[in-house]
Amino acid sequence: MKHGWRLAARNLGRNRRRNLATGASIALGFCGLVLIGGYAVRVERFLRTNTVYLQQVGHLAIYRDGGLERGVAQPARFALSADDQRRITSVLGGTPEVELVGRHLIGMGLAGNGCTTVPFSALGVEPEVQARVLAHPEVQAASPELARPLRGELLARYPNVAGAAALSAGLAELLGKTRIHDELAASPPNGSAALAPDCAVRTGGARADVDANVQLAALTWAGTMSAVDVEVVNLFHTPLAETEDGTLVTSLATLQQLYATDAVSYLSVYLRDARDAHRLAAALERAIDAAGVPVRVYPFDDERVGPYYAGTMPFLTSLVGFIGLLVAAVVVLSIVNAMTLSMLERTRELGMLRALGFSRGQVLGLCLREATLLAVMAVGVGLALALTIATMINHSGARFSPPGVPGSILFLLTPTPALCAALATLIVPLAAGAAWLAVRKKTRASVVGLLHEQVS
Amino acid sequence: MSLLLTSLTAALCAAAAPPAPGLPSPPVDAASLVRDADRARGGLAEGITWTVEVTSTEDGSATTTAYLVRARGDDALAEVTAPAHAKGEKLLFSGGALWFIKPGLKKPVAVSTRQKLAGPAAAGDVASTNYARDYAAELVGEDDVGGAAAWRLELKATGPSATYDRIRYWVAKSGRQALKAEFLTVGGDVVKTATFEYDNKLTVAGKPLELISRMTITDAMGEGAVSVVRFGAPKAEAHPASIFTLESAVR
Repeated sequence: MKHGWRLAARNLGRNRRRNLATGASIALGFCGLVLIGGYAVRVERFLRTNTVYLQQVGHLAIYRDGGLERGVAQPARFALSADDQRRITSVLGGTPEVELVGRHLIGMGLAGNGCTTVPFSALGVEPEVQARVLAHPEVQAASPELARPLRGELLARYPNVAGAAALSAGLAELLGKTRIHDELAASPPNGSAALAPDCAVRTGGARADVDANVQLAALTWAGTMSAVDVEVVNLFHTPLAETEDGTLVTSLATLQQLYATDAVSYLSVYLRDARDAHRLAAALERAIDAAGVPVRVYPFDDERVGPYYAGTMPFLTSLVGFIGLLVAAVVVLSIVNAMTLSMLERTRELGMLRALGFSRGQVLGLCLREATLLAVMAVGVGLALALTIATMINHSGARFSPPGVPGSILFLLTPTPALCAALATLIVPLAAGAAWLAVRKKTRASVVGLLHEQVS
Repeated sequence: MSLLLTSLTAALCAAAAPPAPGLPSPPVDAASLVRDADRARGGLAEGITWTVEVTSTEDGSATTTAYLVRARGDDALAEVTAPAHAKGEKLLFSGGALWFIKPGLKKPVAVSTRQKLAGPAAAGDVASTNYARDYAAELVGEDDVGGAAAWRLELKATGPSATYDRIRYWVAKSGRQALKAEFLTVGGDVVKTATFEYDNKLTVAGKPLELISRMTITDAMGEGAVSVVRFGAPKAEAHPASIFTLESAVR
């Protein structure tokens, strides 16, 4: 039909109040969907960043076969030896999708301050790799607060401090280590730490903070007692609340010294594109097996390495999906209602168009064009509204505490272009479909019937 | 009333008279049994010095650590003499607390007596032998252990320095030495078992004493890890209290 879109646009101007109301409902519905979607995108990105970068699982975690399940109980048997690491690194070196590889050692033991000891769970990292991981653009965009230590600097900034270590804030409090290396260097304490502090006269941890050193004791992998000194250079919040009172991060070399080994627990592989994780997991597992190291490669969304991500995302998806469905239903009903009323009022007009020679399809097409134009304009308004609201919220500095995460993070809404485009391509056809439902019956009526129909 | 008086008189006479052959033995004091068993395991108030070698087999690999142990009453200082890389490391049990001291380490580390030392052997198995202090004992029966008649006792931990929550303990009627022990959780599950042998001889205060020579600890819950603790070259020595202080041990 020639000039069909122009005619549809002019028709929209005839029933301004009703079209305004319909357009407003579409715009608000679209706005709501964009904001909810923006929230879901934000939370997904936070959880993914948290798992992949902050917990240093990587997009892929490579364990010796059985190492994830039994590595803590039998580390000597299920760790990756120095030779295993060389073979795996060689395979990874030939994989262009790999951006970065980190080696990690996990261990447990007792952390002491000379008077008391507290159980710890430690992660040994390569300081330079950790610094690169925490400075990654994804981290800076999603969780910059959690990537920064609460106090002090990252381990890589202390190459000359023997046994530089980071303590979770809860563990530091339990050990009475209220001052870190930099703070003590800036203001030397009045007294010096005794080799054997008089714990009996110590009150409220007051004596523990005269220095920043902590003793780590554990069993070596060969089964003998061992201990090393570490120096607290930073305090941090752990990504999960339940680990806040007992987590310690130090250099891989320090932890290897404690456990008297050159092995590592796992390798974390950071990819250029997270979407490659599943495809590469299977391919790398085969390639590394072929290189003579029996391994299992876990993508970050596997509940065994990323339980928080794997457990939260289905809940979030179903919640957002349900709310989105409700909003979409409201939009559809609004359009059906508006178009039905419009068709009732325009019955004789439709009859006139048919009498002038318009076919049923052309009349239907005209109505669908009207609905589509209305939806497109409403989507534009809704998008502008959503972006304005998101910008206002993002600049308000509002914070919230995600469940299970110590501390708070910025409340951000991040509606991505892909999300907005996807929602627009959903809403506009939905509006056209709703209009088709409302007008198709009318267009089937006879011309005479349409012209003589009484409109109440 | 006369019947009651007659019964009471008979009971008093029976209590005062020595037991007739075939009648039950007089009640045994569980606490004194444990004290005597402690002495045979090295808990000498007078002081003792000996070597203790712990060989543990776990996951198919064996490790051996040798200690020179000096003990007096409740206190003990165990210094590693082998392997060479661990030489000089110490375990100090003093004032109810156990410390791990390593040369070069800035401060000693407080560890639990339950701290795994090697294989199923806990730190308390080497450094803390005083069951009479750490447990409340109750005599619960009699058994035959390897052909020897033994009292069976139930020991329950009374303080935080105890290595185990509960111990089922068999003490020989002859010689009052511990023959066997089962170490239990609070819930009553056996986590480890131990057997004791007494081939060391020592004269203490002019009296000969048979001392423990070997303690074999077997993991009852895992894959059968075993620690054999061999006690050798015992010498009765009076140690000054000062060697059992943290200040002295860290120097």
